[in-house]
Amino acid sequence: MNKPLLNGIYGILAVVMASAFAFKVFQPIQVLPRMQLAPAYSLLDQNNEPFTSEATRGQFTIYTFTYTHCAEPCYNINETIQEVQSRLNEVQLDGIPVSFVTVSIDPDRDTPEVLNTYANSIGADTNVWTFATTTNKTLLKTIIGSGFETYYEEKGDGNFTFDPAFVLVDGWGIVRAEYRYSTEVSNADRILRHLGVLADEVRNSKGTTKLAYEAAHLFLCYAP
Amino acid sequence: MKTKNLILVLVAVLGIAVGIYFLRPKPLHGTVIQSPEPSYDFTLTGANGDVSLSDYRGKIVLIYFGYTFCPDICPATLGNVTAALKKIGSKADDVQLIMISVDPGRDTPEKLAKYVAHFHPSFVGITGTKEEVDTVTSLYGIFYEIKQGSTATDYLIDHTATLMAIDRDGYLKLVFPFGVTADDIADDLKYMLRQ
Repeated sequence: MNKPLLNGIYGILAVVMASAFAFKVFQPIQVLPRMQLAPAYSLLDQNNEPFTSEATRGQFTIYTFTYTHCAEPCYNINETIQEVQSRLNEVQLDGIPVSFVTVSIDPDRDTPEVLNTYANSIGADTNVWTFATTTNKTLLKTIIGSGFETYYEEKGDGNFTFDPAFVLVDGWGIVRAEYRYSTEVSNADRILRHLGVLADEVRNSKGTTKLAYEAAHLFLCYAP
Repeated sequence: MKTKNLILVLVAVLGIAVGIYFLRPKPLHGTVIQSPEPSYDFTLTGANGDVSLSDYRGKIVLIYFGYTFCPDICPATLGNVTAALKKIGSKADDVQLIMISVDPGRDTPEKLAKYVAHFHPSFVGITGTKEEVDTVTSLYGIFYEIKQGSTATDYLIDHTATLMAIDRDGYLKLVFPFGVTADDIADDLKYMLRQ
């Protein structure tokens, strides 16, 4: 093979690799990873009505896991949700609903009536914020522990040790972000930023632009 | 000299275009999942004994949740997988479909085996107790609900109708929505088989 042709091939490879490198470094598009499928479930909500994972399809859903006897401020879980709710107008969601689901890890005490009273006591808007659990503790452990990968354990004195995690799930039932207390305290700013990134992807990932978004996933261009 | 340079530039431009074309992200038909952990390794019962997801490491595993009384969407999806396997020819030997029944009350392992064999001789049908099935369905994001009919055994089951593709190492890679065509499944399988 003659030298100019060889140089040309090297040049082309260099340009292609430089382009890929530039895409990775400058990240013209950022996405959230598609981490895993969120677990499916059928729980009972604060109105004693079945609440299933199907009810959240087509929405962005933020899950939290706690119990009503958790001593306040209980990792500021409710305060963070309420701040996110109050600031949703800062995010361009294009009409995509955002819902909040708090799953109680204490089904013995957190009956639907107790959850309803609790929701009222903290001023939760139950049109968009659901409180639910199931008395099937094995299934509850499967859903929260294995499905959402969130640790909790009863201490025996009426209290629980638990990871006050937030989990963001997209409209297709795919986990897109996790906010773990042990690694990074959940904060409304970050959650709102991520909701915006998800909405951008839904809005723009069409036609040829979809390739750019898939490249962003491929090159792990994840929003911080 | 000028002509030579011009040809070199043209070759370079053409080469870059070809390079970008071949290195572009493959537009897959299923939704790509980038799970950092292997999929839940279930063990359920088939006609020939226990079947685990990990039994098929080294193969691409397609997982479908359905039931033998399913009137329309299950046979349609399984039929599309059959057609997709035909399209990829001998490479189909590296693909294993597992159907997990969401109807443990009526679908025995033997009944499932007969049912799936109608679609492809390699297909495996498995089931378990309701508790076991509930665990697996939940962890694979499959919701199901019994719609009661006129008698205790006359009912239909609404269920999530996605088809999932697990890679050779046991990681969930693709989720196909209901309605995915045989061509689309075959196209994505070919891509996964090349990995």
